Amino acid sequence: MKKLGVSLYAASTVALLLWAFYQAVYVAPLDAMQGEVSRIFYYHVPHAMLCFLFFAVSLLGSIGYLSFRRSHTDWAQISDAWALTGAEVGVVYCTIVLLTGPLWGRRAWGIWWTWDARLTTTLVLWLIYVSYLLLRRFAAGPQVQTLAAVLGIFGALDVPIVYMSNRWWRTQHPAPVFGGGPDSGIKDPAMLAAFGWNVLAWLAWGVLITALRYLVERQNQKNLRREEQAALNA
Amino acid sequence: MDQRAILDHQFVVAAYVITWTVQLGYLAWLGLKWRDQKREATRLGRKPR
Repeated sequence: MKKLGVSLYAASTVALLLWAFYQAVYVAPLDAMQGEVSRIFYYHVPHAMLCFLFFAVSLLGSIGYLSFRRSHTDWAQISDAWALTGAEVGVVYCTIVLLTGPLWGRRAWGIWWTWDARLTTTLVLWLIYVSYLLLRRFAAGPQVQTLAAVLGIFGALDVPIVYMSNRWWRTQHPAPVFGGGPDSGIKDPAMLAAFGWNVLAWLAWGVLITALRYLVERQNQKNLRREEQAALNA
Repeated sequence: MDQRAILDHQFVVAAYVITWTVQLGYLAWLGLKWRDQKREATRLGRKPR
């Protein structure tokens, strides 16, 4: 029954991704100013929005780990697995943002990169979470999870700065699509629908890979515990 | 199709291909990691205590 549910969810996600792709490429009209290159927006913006969500999962997991590490070891391990999962999936989404953004920028602005506030703070966010993953991968010892949790919390502090960067400072990056004042928002209903489908599809995909990554980490924790137990019994 | 439109199209294709490659690559890596963890669990289960 559980397997059937997972298969159904995975099949629905694939169908949703294909539908969202069709909407973005074949249904949504071209932007009058930018032409076809505006279609990058349907992948770039949903990934940017969703990477914040996964970093928020990492933040909650990190706070949970620090809260429970002395009182409830099992809860702390579960929280730590969520913290790692959120950081890793967030980095995947943020990587796509940093790769697709310059492709759009090259056609729209004539440059691959500029050190404006939105781009720079996003790069810093990516670097912080990559360093988090490197710490988890290469450091050893009993303090690694605690250090990673602290880094995860400090990394998350950059998320609101990234979000507000093109509101606080005059940037080359386009103004906010939503919540950026009276002129913000997508006016064309077909464009809005294509955008909405892509947000939904990549969210469903993100939930799927997050669940899978979480299960992998929990299995890893169980294996490590069994290995420690075996070493103690030897 | 003029030169500008062709280039725009190529950039859109590149962005979409990169997105799918990164996401599917990550999924494949997760699949391999899951298989390794399961093998490790089986190995630890067999180990005499």
